[in-house]
Amino acid sequence: MTALATTVNVMHHAFRAGLADYRAIFTWKSWLAGWMVRVIAQVAFFALLGERIGDDQKTFYLLVGNSILVAALTGVFSLNMTTAERWAGTLPLLVASPSSPIIVFSARGSYLAVDGALSALAALFIAGPMFGMDLPWPRVLAVVPLTALVALASYCFGTFLAGIVFRFRSINSLVVLTTHVSLMAACGVNVPLSDYPDALEWFSRVLPVTNGLLAIRGVFEGADAATILRDAALEAAVAGGWMTLALASFNQLASRGRRDGSLDYGA
Amino acid sequence: MRAFLAGFGLELRIVRAAPDALIPLVTAPLFALIFLSIVRQSGRPDLQADALMAPVLMTLWWIALQNAGNMITGDRWQALLEPLLATPASLASVLLGRIVALTCLGLVSFLEVWAIGELVYGVSIPFEHPVALGLTLLVTALATAGVSVAFAAVFVLTRNAYTFTNSLSYPLYLLGGVLVPVAILPGWIQPVSSAIFMSWSADLLRASLKPSPIDDLWQRLGLVVLLGAISFLIGRALLFHVMQRMRVKGELAAA
Repeated sequence: MTALATTVNVMHHAFRAGLADYRAIFTWKSWLAGWMVRVIAQVAFFALLGERIGDDQKTFYLLVGNSILVAALTGVFSLNMTTAERWAGTLPLLVASPSSPIIVFSARGSYLAVDGALSALAALFIAGPMFGMDLPWPRVLAVVPLTALVALASYCFGTFLAGIVFRFRSINSLVVLTTHVSLMAACGVNVPLSDYPDALEWFSRVLPVTNGLLAIRGVFEGADAATILRDAALEAAVAGGWMTLALASFNQLASRGRRDGSLDYGA
Repeated sequence: MRAFLAGFGLELRIVRAAPDALIPLVTAPLFALIFLSIVRQSGRPDLQADALMAPVLMTLWWIALQNAGNMITGDRWQALLEPLLATPASLASVLLGRIVALTCLGLVSFLEVWAIGELVYGVSIPFEHPVALGLTLLVTALATAGVSVAFAAVFVLTRNAYTFTNSLSYPLYLLGGVLVPVAILPGWIQPVSSAIFMSWSADLLRASLKPSPIDDLWQRLGLVVLLGAISFLIGRALLFHVMQRMRVKGELAAA
């Protein structure tokens, strides 16, 4: 078997293992009655603040931002993968195997990007009409690939964070929760980027969500295709950047764990 | 009462050793900043006090729900459930003590949002009715714990408690009028919200920060306590039946 075929084979099995994990957490009934209800409630929670403020445009701004944020929240869940391996007792075995752990982790959690994009789109297309938001046809179709791009970028970011958590597993839950809320605070989800201090605005541009969300807002606001494509390209570049960083750091972090014996339950 | 106090002390020791349960205290100031930035950017400074109170309620609920969901499962995995049930103490009272310890610690979020509002935006909490504010926070912490015991009982029956704990956060924030008063919700939802203690707590918290007198303070405080107590009693009965069933079926030990 060639190296490429071996890698594809490992990714295929890792993806199937991820799907099996997900099926253990959700059935389609609990996904609809639990997860989707929560997602729509989350979007409605923020959209209602816009209603209370008494500004329809603010309501729609919050609705779009928080719907798309769902894609990021789910994508970032990928950083839970390392802890799951640890609790399953498979982490040392994984590091000892000839495959790179990042190949396994990136494939195993990739269903999260799909789930994130689907959840975000469902939230947008259900909560939008609930609040009387116009979904301009057929322009709105452009939101589908753009949301997928946001989910992918967030997933790459989550994979990078998984490498960090790989070394410092005791802070896993802290990283998950603070990342969620930080993305909510720093990516132009609730207020325009122009409202941020300059340094934060600059920083938000290298985070997932920010550029993709600008592209999606552009679709709703009737921006020209070049502007939308430029923001989408920036989001793709951010995704590529985080995945590159993940690839560069992950194996090194795993090797250090192997050297200092911190890969087991003890750390 | 001894079981309650034992649970309270136990949880404090657990948190001291592993403070993960208090992670929502890290996100409370971030939520305060998010809500404040929205209302300020929209030119509604009159909503700033409400923006500061919402993260306090969210933190209390999140801490209680997340941990209630895992408490019995955690005890089961550590093989503690069987000896715990073999004692004459009521499991519900121990659980209540443990969750009250967490919700009391969750009240620290009030100080956090106060500090972050002052530091970042120079926005303070208007202490117009400090006694009402303090009492509301206290009864809310107790009621949250009472309701969480009921959820803990239900979670034992589920295949994966995480699914439910993760799903119940925002629906309750919404129905409980945590950030937006229940009056703004669609009419058909409002009766449901009235049965949720959080909606009464949230209204009282907002009222205690406004200069106008608070109508029916004691009745509203009483209602929060009553709804929390009813939930606890339901949870206690449910827990008893669930544990009985698990005993009969030999399911107490984790498979």
